Amino acid sequence: MTQQSEIPDDGILAAEYVLRLLPQREETAFEERLAREPGLMDYVSFWATRLSGLNDEVPEVAPPSRTRRRLMHRLFGSVERGTFWQRAGLWQALSLASVALAVFLGVQVLRTPETVLPGAGGPLLISEIAAEDQSLRVLAVYDPDADRLSVSRTAGQAAAGRALELWAIAEGAAPVSLGVLPDDPRATLTLPADLVPLVASLTLAISDEPPGGSPTGAPTGDVLAVGQVREL
Amino acid sequence: MAQPKDIEDLISRVALGDRAAFSSLYDQTSAKLFGVALRVLNNRANAEDVLQETYMKIWRYADRYMSNGMSPMTWLITIARNTAIDRLRATREGADVEALADRLEARGPTPEQSAIAAGEAARIVACLDQLETDKSQAVRGAYLQGLSYAELAERFNVPLNTMRTWLRRSLISLKECMQP
Repeated sequence: MTQQSEIPDDGILAAEYVLRLLPQREETAFEERLAREPGLMDYVSFWATRLSGLNDEVPEVAPPSRTRRRLMHRLFGSVERGTFWQRAGLWQALSLASVALAVFLGVQVLRTPETVLPGAGGPLLISEIAAEDQSLRVLAVYDPDADRLSVSRTAGQAAAGRALELWAIAEGAAPVSLGVLPDDPRATLTLPADLVPLVASLTLAISDEPPGGSPTGAPTGDVLAVGQVREL
Repeated sequence: MAQPKDIEDLISRVALGDRAAFSSLYDQTSAKLFGVALRVLNNRANAEDVLQETYMKIWRYADRYMSNGMSPMTWLITIARNTAIDRLRATREGADVEALADRLEARGPTPEQSAIAAGEAARIVACLDQLETDKSQAVRGAYLQGLSYAELAERFNVPLNTMRTWLRRSLISLKECMQP
């Protein structure tokens, strides 16, 4: 065996890496080098790009629709309109909502019928912002009459030295910060005026951020929990 | 057919947590990525799982796409292929190498496929065609099916080290052939 084949140059090592031919130990070593030596990435991208031409031979196959459904469910939980009650189970959801509402809206949710006559601000809007594994769960309720968003954290908290930041995402738009959630599990936030007309279709999300919130105005950390706004 | 620029825009919106963009990215690219996963795994149930895992990674790591020098489609395919190969290796213990060999034999491009391939595809295919058949089949087996050196050695009935030497020489030839 020639010396060359025993110690390939980086261009060939990168090809073996892209092809996934390197034994586990060498693969890990190469990845450690990749993190340290930016030039190595050029080789990797050369091979990944050239070899990906072979995918033109691979026919497209439409995956079954259940794959999409399961994926969205795993990522976003109960976000598909209409599936929330089915998913959570009507009673479980009702009790969660009513317990949380009773706690932080107090008497407000028990308003007398006169105050919710047609022409008033409309129905309460609710969003259960939950992590896939339920390790973080925040219930948000928007009261159109009072024009305020009340949030109640019912599970989980910020990691040590980190903050939880709440975001509103309108269809097709970038997330807008609603603020950092305080240590207190209950808080009241104000919705930016331009989001008020869109509130019923908003997605709310909570991201992991440095103390004080994202320094960039956009989420910088992991998105920990997501929920869709719906009418209660 | 979505243009690379469109896919790139969608990825950058996904990086901001835009779920609508994520849905649209899935709709435009999942058939390709499912095809890639199926080619590696040859098993629909596993390929479905891998497809989900792939898009979960895309959702989480979209912000790392930026400019790694790959086209957006190459980046997505790389994630799908690597996820499929990880799955293959995790589940392959004692897999039937004969079955793999059959799959490998059945692959190889038809003349039509070679003819319609364009751009990068034409280039890699043309360069592979300059190698001996066995050697180009070994590169295809590694890329399209995630075969390891050991599996390739068994398939072509040569010692492991010989396979490594073969393949590295093939890669050196390919590199010279494809370099601009």
